[in-house]
Amino acid sequence: MTYAYLFKYIIIGDTGVGKSCLLLQFTDKRFQPVHDLTIGVEFGARMVNIDGKQIKLQIWDTAGQESFRSITRSYYRGAAGALLVYDITRRETFNHLTSWLEDARQHSSSNMVIMLIGNKSDLESRRDVKREEGEAFAREHGLIFMETSAKTACNVEEAFINTAKEIYRKIQQGLFDVHNEANGIKIGPQQCISTSVGPSASQRNSRDVGSNSGCC
Amino acid sequence: MAFLCLHPLSDLQEPSSPSWLGSRSQREHRRQGDAPRWKPSVILGFGCASFASPPCPRIADFQDVLKEPTIALEKLRELSFSGIPCEGGLRCLCWKILLNYLPLERASWTSILAKQRELYSQFLREMIIQPGIAKANMGVSREDVTFEDHPLNPNPDSRWNTYFRDNEVLLQIDKDVRRLCPDISFFQRATEYPCLLILDPQNEFETLRKRVEQTTLKSQTVARNRSGVTNMSSPHKLSASSSPNEYEVLPNGCEAHWEVVERILFIYAKLNPGIAYVQGMNEIVGPLYYTFATDPNSEWKEHAEADTFFCFTNLMAEIRDNFIKSLDDSQCGITYKMEKVYSTLKDKDVELYLKLQEQNIKPQFFAFRWLTLLLSQEFLLPDVIRIWDSLFADDSRFDFLLLVCCAMLILIREQLLEGDFTINMRLLQMSARSYRKPRSSKTRSSLAARGPGLEEKTLTLCPGFWDTQMPVGSQPEGKLQEWPAPDLLTLGCSHRGTLCHAPS
Repeated sequence: MTYAYLFKYIIIGDTGVGKSCLLLQFTDKRFQPVHDLTIGVEFGARMVNIDGKQIKLQIWDTAGQESFRSITRSYYRGAAGALLVYDITRRETFNHLTSWLEDARQHSSSNMVIMLIGNKSDLESRRDVKREEGEAFAREHGLIFMETSAKTACNVEEAFINTAKEIYRKIQQGLFDVHNEANGIKIGPQQCISTSVGPSASQRNSRDVGSNSGCC
Repeated sequence: MAFLCLHPLSDLQEPSSPSWLGSRSQREHRRQGDAPRWKPSVILGFGCASFASPPCPRIADFQDVLKEPTIALEKLRELSFSGIPCEGGLRCLCWKILLNYLPLERASWTSILAKQRELYSQFLREMIIQPGIAKANMGVSREDVTFEDHPLNPNPDSRWNTYFRDNEVLLQIDKDVRRLCPDISFFQRATEYPCLLILDPQNEFETLRKRVEQTTLKSQTVARNRSGVTNMSSPHKLSASSSPNEYEVLPNGCEAHWEVVERILFIYAKLNPGIAYVQGMNEIVGPLYYTFATDPNSEWKEHAEADTFFCFTNLMAEIRDNFIKSLDDSQCGITYKMEKVYSTLKDKDVELYLKLQEQNIKPQFFAFRWLTLLLSQEFLLPDVIRIWDSLFADDSRFDFLLLVCCAMLILIREQLLEGDFTINMRLLQMSARSYRKPRSSKTRSSLAARGPGLEEKTLTLCPGFWDTQMPVGSQPEGKLQEWPAPDLLTLGCSHRGTLCHAPS
């Protein structure tokens, strides 16, 4: 159960785009065709491996309806990554991305890594938003982009893991202050011991992380 | 819809079964292959099974209270608090009284019901049929646009303007009601008494379902124009996307139970524009409607929609503050109630309270859903209904809910005290419904091992309570998690300081 880092994620987007299903597929490797409506927040966690480091992902899945946004906002704070999800078969969920993005940017750390996800890619025959449109939106707003299917599990692992890789990269670049939990990153219990010794130890630790990536 | 058939409750509405409990417990005995260890009248406690004879004394108790010309509310509350029998529609009747839909004077019931049901029909005509008629005409006849009111009328008072605004609320409701209680098939099934007013084949009124389909189509067209794309997708493709194929399509003249719930919520939203519709209200209507739509009394069952609407409205009057975000941080808002759960816990189990505090597990992370939905997502529907008997009977109105929430925490205290943040969060957020499993005989046996008296008592208090099991593998560690056997409601009651004993 030891881990080098803990990253906090949030999943946001309109009702019914498949946020909870993505989480369930990622944490439990199963698909529930009709998921219970999310009220408030749901929680999931899983360990992933990035560059040989164990990283614990702590994921907060939020309710989609606008009325709950005031409650949702308290979960934004202190997230290192966000999965912003729309449904490729429902254009209105794509049209609302700007407002979700504004909300997320406003209430979270400026370094937060945002992954744009076009979900339900298995429903190609009912596609309403072109892949290129998703890519263009992501490019324009500086997001990572993927199309996923929570049903077939296509790209689900990748979406969560690529977000983690990007956060990890930012840590190595020194963009994240890993000692400030408000950034949604926590150093694992073992690492804590070495870093809690003093500032020099923590610097050494971050250099170690940096050199690791250099090898890859 | 294969996933629905997997669930043991999918035959919840077997028409021949007197109640789901009866048929289910019988099946249970068959599956276990041993002689029934619990007489139905004991398992069902309140004589839910009509084959129990002689009649359970509890039924007689209820009947005694209910036959008085003026019902003694205190007495009824006291009885209902320990669970209401569903036999003979007792629960439906009691809920209607406890939720102030029916007055205490028996003599006025017939006229009140007739009046309210007529009022509801009027709501249907005004809010669902009227705009639909105009719309249907518009489609076939050109001259409609020259009428005083037409779809492009910029006047904010225009009926059409309202129509389009309402569609946004309707779309939101529609998405949620279609996935109401996904663990049972009830809400996907056709109703016994389709709403004749709307489904009248003579008139071809627009149903809400059709309105949703057409609205989706319309909004897509507009969006395309705005982005400068002039090519329209083929109508075939558009209609396919607006009626997702994962939902069963019922033949004309039929409607599914979820469509009834949709109408109730839509009319509530129209009549209460300040709150309109907030996610989660569907989970409040669900158990009410299910109870009334399975009323053994067919005369009342036929009016389940209208009766549910008024009971829901009355219930919302008491709990609506939970849904209003501007009240979130006020004395009557949800935040205050969530904190109340913790301050009560601090009183009852300070060790557990400190543990949760230390792990920074805030009540918002789990109690928000527990409280807002009156636990309707935490347990299987029959258990929810049983819990609601007590909640509706609570004279201090939902204070008991805080105690039940506390009891839920204390009942899993050993696991919580051992678990880390992740394990505890999963424990607290797992709902019985989303991780359903067939009833396990093991749980019952362990219950029986505590002595026949306890078994009888707990089962009487809350039949079906032990079904709320968690699955293997639902936690990262793959450990089997069960809600422990002690009686949640009894624990809640003991904290309340009320003697809550099983009736003999």
